[in-house]
Amino acid sequence: MTDHADYHLEGLEIPETPVPQSGTEPWTTTTVVGTARPRVDAYELVSGTAVYPSDVVLPRMLYGAILRCPHPHATVRSIDTSAASSLPGVHAVLTGAGPHHASVRDYASVLESTLPATCRYEGQAVAAVAADDPYVAADALRAITVEYDVHPFVADERRALDDDAALVHPDGNRVGEPSRSSRGDLARGFAEADVVLEESYRTECEIHVPMEYHGCVARWDGDALTLWESTQGVFSVQSAVASTLQLPLSKVRVIGHYVGGGFGSKLQMDSSTLLAALLARQTARPVKLFLTREETLLVVGNRPPANMHIRAGAKRDGTLTALEFTATGTGGAFRAGGTSLLEWLARDLYECPNVATETTDIYINAGPARPFRAPGHPQGAWALEQMMDALAAAIEMDPVEFRLKNIPSRSQARPGMPPYSITGLARCLQEGAEAFDWVASRQATRQQDPGATWKRGVGMAAGLWIAGAGGPPSTAIVKVFSDGSVNLNLGASDIGTGTKTVMAMVLAEELGIDPDAVQIEHADTGTTAYATGSGGSKTVPTESPAVRAAAVDVKTQLLALAAEDLGVDASTLAVREGRVTSTDDATVSRAFAEIRGLRRRGTVTGIGYRGPNPADKAVCPFAAQFCEVEVNTGTGEVRIVRFLGTNDSGRVMNRLTYQNQVFGGITMGIGLAMTEARILDVDQTGKMVNLNLHDYKVPTALDVPADMTCHPIDLPDAEANTTGAKGIGEPATVPTAPAIANAVYDAVGVRLTSTTLDPAHVIAALAATGKGG
Amino acid sequence: MLQPFAYIRPTSTNEALEHLAAEGACAHAGGTDLLGCLRDGVFSAHKVVSLAGCEDLRGITARDDGSVRIGALTKVADVARDPVLSERYPVLVQAAAAVASPQLRNQGTLGGNLCQRPRCWYYRGHFPCLRKGGDTCYALAGENQYHCVLGGSRCYIAHPSDTAPALMSLGASVRIQGLHGARTVALDEFYVPPATDVQRETVLAQGEIVTEIVIPAPPRGLRSTYRKVRGRGAWDFALVGIAAALVVDGGTVRDGRIVLSGAAPVPWRSTESEAAVRGTQLTTADCRRAAEAAVRDAQPLKRNGYKIPLLRGVIEEALRGLA
Amino acid sequence: MGNDTSDPDRHERPPGSGVSRRGFLSSVGTGALSAAVASRAAAEGVPPDAVVQATELSKVALHINGQRHEVLVEARWSLAYVLRERLGLGGTKVSCERGECGACTVLIDGVPRYACMTLAVEAAERSITTIEGLLEGEELGTTQQAFAEHDAFQCGYCTPGQIMAVEGLVRVNAHPSSDEIRLGTSGNLCRCGAYAHILAAARRAAELRRGGGGEA
Repeated sequence: MTDHADYHLEGLEIPETPVPQSGTEPWTTTTVVGTARPRVDAYELVSGTAVYPSDVVLPRMLYGAILRCPHPHATVRSIDTSAASSLPGVHAVLTGAGPHHASVRDYASVLESTLPATCRYEGQAVAAVAADDPYVAADALRAITVEYDVHPFVADERRALDDDAALVHPDGNRVGEPSRSSRGDLARGFAEADVVLEESYRTECEIHVPMEYHGCVARWDGDALTLWESTQGVFSVQSAVASTLQLPLSKVRVIGHYVGGGFGSKLQMDSSTLLAALLARQTARPVKLFLTREETLLVVGNRPPANMHIRAGAKRDGTLTALEFTATGTGGAFRAGGTSLLEWLARDLYECPNVATETTDIYINAGPARPFRAPGHPQGAWALEQMMDALAAAIEMDPVEFRLKNIPSRSQARPGMPPYSITGLARCLQEGAEAFDWVASRQATRQQDPGATWKRGVGMAAGLWIAGAGGPPSTAIVKVFSDGSVNLNLGASDIGTGTKTVMAMVLAEELGIDPDAVQIEHADTGTTAYATGSGGSKTVPTESPAVRAAAVDVKTQLLALAAEDLGVDASTLAVREGRVTSTDDATVSRAFAEIRGLRRRGTVTGIGYRGPNPADKAVCPFAAQFCEVEVNTGTGEVRIVRFLGTNDSGRVMNRLTYQNQVFGGITMGIGLAMTEARILDVDQTGKMVNLNLHDYKVPTALDVPADMTCHPIDLPDAEANTTGAKGIGEPATVPTAPAIANAVYDAVGVRLTSTTLDPAHVIAALAATGKGG
Repeated sequence: MLQPFAYIRPTSTNEALEHLAAEGACAHAGGTDLLGCLRDGVFSAHKVVSLAGCEDLRGITARDDGSVRIGALTKVADVARDPVLSERYPVLVQAAAAVASPQLRNQGTLGGNLCQRPRCWYYRGHFPCLRKGGDTCYALAGENQYHCVLGGSRCYIAHPSDTAPALMSLGASVRIQGLHGARTVALDEFYVPPATDVQRETVLAQGEIVTEIVIPAPPRGLRSTYRKVRGRGAWDFALVGIAAALVVDGGTVRDGRIVLSGAAPVPWRSTESEAAVRGTQLTTADCRRAAEAAVRDAQPLKRNGYKIPLLRGVIEEALRGLA
Repeated sequence: MGNDTSDPDRHERPPGSGVSRRGFLSSVGTGALSAAVASRAAAEGVPPDAVVQATELSKVALHINGQRHEVLVEARWSLAYVLRERLGLGGTKVSCERGECGACTVLIDGVPRYACMTLAVEAAERSITTIEGLLEGEELGTTQQAFAEHDAFQCGYCTPGQIMAVEGLVRVNAHPSSDEIRLGTSGNLCRCGAYAHILAAARRAAELRRGGGGEA
């Protein structure tokens, strides 16, 4: 079986880095790391001076735009671009079939595959234009006439395996064989159970909606291509562009200093980047091509809908005896992980000897999925954690207590069932319950006025994230200048999680300097060391050990140079507050800038590498969340009153950005639970009907509670890596949705097994069960 | 990206009306609905006529006869925070405050909110629907979770406005002006149901605009409220809502109006509900009967059956709140 | 262009607030207006008193951050487009271009509005404040400083719009309650979900504006 930790890098060749140097024993105390620190780039972010790729404006720049197929399944019969080409201000029109301009003729096959004749989902690209301004570019798209042969479609995976379903691909709508796993003896597990429950669950398709559109500015300088791309990983874009356009890696420079969100949808190159590059090549001018919001809703990924079924058994003493999990899902019209990791929590979150899972991935005529913040996990948690709640009720045990009875010490889903380096789950549950005042809060909901219109409920759920350990490769370079100032070079993108700040803090910790004094060069394939994409909650655990190693490397060199100046042995020296000082005599000291060796050389450079993860251990972050809701029994409105997140994500590197991730994860989970669903016109046209941000409802400030608490379990994981950190971004969103559903159940006694918990669905459920007010 | 259009910003209402008389001319008040429609290609504009220079169409004026005149270009945000309106007509300020988002309230006008085009996603999207001159109402057999349960016929939009039901509950009227004259129309008569004409939502003719809204003096004992249920805390049209303006004398409802939002293709006055509540003390049972009366004739589509219990719940709650 | 000292939108700021940093980039390119429009005919006349034909460029005066800019625009161009792509004021972001996200929020005559749903011609002769206009030289404005202190963002892309919404709020409400802040920022989506920190930052912004400097 494959190591799921690298799910988002599948198919990429990752260069290996050397093992790191010694000198990075676990920190016993820290003075910078672990504090609550505003970002090193806060000024740029709040002043409007941070230049995102979509902000780039170059001299003579043109604007690109893409014509997209309006049908979910169609073939281009003919395409007439003559009117568009002759519009004033239009400089290039590309189609798949050509004829092609001489400058892009070598790329005919790229154009053919990027602008294909057969469209299997709404929004597939058909033509591209470049014009003087985006308005003229849009005029040009409207001036292109396309005749389509429109084919039957299927837009609902729940019907796609029916005999009469239209075929997305000629050989059927199944994406290979179902994926299965099992351990133990399911039948025996159910036989041992005192209680066996069974339920079906569904989560709707959720779309990433990063605030910055997907896209880039492309510019050629001779045979070298520069791309300012809104991406989570400049090197993955570089690799994909270079291989597709058959350019040397050195001739493809991808710069992504800032990125306005990604959540997984910007880990890979989008085909629009190739079109921008080819438009720029044909026109010999820079081209800015960013998708519209409508395009991003259709074509750059989603969290697939999940149809899940669980049968579970438990003993009255709280022992989980059997779990059977089956699911179907869809990654859209192409193989895109439509059921990826849905079953992981059922296999791994709780100690259970008898588990069987089966997931079936299905094609439909809709835009392809992409990894989305903890792929599969929030959906799987929606099912598993509601089932756990129901089981707890059935055996009359507190749901926290029930989970505590089943804490795993090892990763049962991994080959060989390796032990976890740390399972912080129990502490998340215990400390979270205490901080939330769980027992008393739960008691209070049982004593409320049964006639009240608004009913209160509390709920909780737990989770883990399969990845979040990070791992090699990573290379970081630290440069100390002759005046003692410090430059950090790393290839990783800071996607808003505060990567740069955390790395500056690591550097500051080791070199005794102010994090704000660190200048960072990052996310530029032309100038920085290789890094994998920032995703999978692995950026901090991947990069921070490399940065620490680089700091130690440069420190070792500085100590040696200072030892020459001071005439002492380097082993008697240490670094503090930007100086090298004797551990025996504080008056024996040199500021970095006074070290003669440094001044002579101009710079001293340290290089650090990320070492391997422990071979025989599994490293995972754990989480639990607690919430309180009010439900209006007359209208089905659900108000979330408060939320508390507890996380074991190893060492807390920056208390402020950590908390921000936790609240952000909860907010996104609220969207999954309450407001967000892609709605396709499944019965008529197959087109997406809620194709804008009014009808596709991302939560607003009024949809999240003012009362949010982040309760970190600060457990530096010495076995995991040299900073002891694990990822936080993804585990923070895993338990949210089922915690809300469980709270709603606590309030009104109705289990909402399908998202979304908006008034329409809640009142319908209340009315159906006669529990409405 | 918008298609090209000509633009003029006249300095008087009369001049604006001259420009608006031409085929394909569209009035730009706040612009929030117009630009959205143009962007989506719902219709096109040859010429956009800005009303920004029409100073006489702004402002809220309390008149000697106790009525209030609101210029059609008054921002929704200004309606929502006006002290006179707040004191006399809570239903209206509550409805105005529930519109869209703060920025849109700062830009959108009351006249525009009354005249906004339907939010049906088939109408707004790239579907050649009946209301746009096609031959199908896609909502009938499609994704109709946000469509009407009352008053539908051929087309099943739900009227999107919050302020229209509020104003209708207060018995307000609008002043309409065109190049060839002006008229006053009660809001009751302003909206056109699809059974009458499937391609227009109001009685406005080409070139006509709403210039002002007049709300009659509040009768003694007026109690009013607007209650909206939506899927998201802001920026969302009503799943359903209720504007209720009741005249209560000594604890007994003497008269009043109940108008539903999100329920029908037009702001839906429920005379059945009004009749049920008249003469009652607004007890829980009274309110429940009034709620039941409102939905008695409701006919849900495939995916919007929830609107019936939801209407019941919200009507009962709102009326109870007026007791 | 010249300084427009009569701009009603220039507010006094409390002393001692703000963070400054030298040498930031405003944008990679120049966004040169004159070069961009040179190839197309410029029409004379100003919108209010003559019909501007479709795709015709007309000259309008935009008062942005206290400066008067005379720009040639098409009637259909949004203010957001002109700010970002024509004037190099990239701090104002776009994320939907249909008034549904708030990233393009600017102050027009001191009031938060969506620059994407505002035609540039409609903004003529109005006072426009963008995120860049909250800076005093290189020093952060009080609302910007509050956002920095409270980590009231993640990716930062919605942040200028959030800041402008809060700025608009605290200019008229010195003591906003939690509910007033949540309502006041409810027209600005933050997909990263930094709402809780934005709430804290808005409280701090009001405090800084009232003259309560010092540490948070």
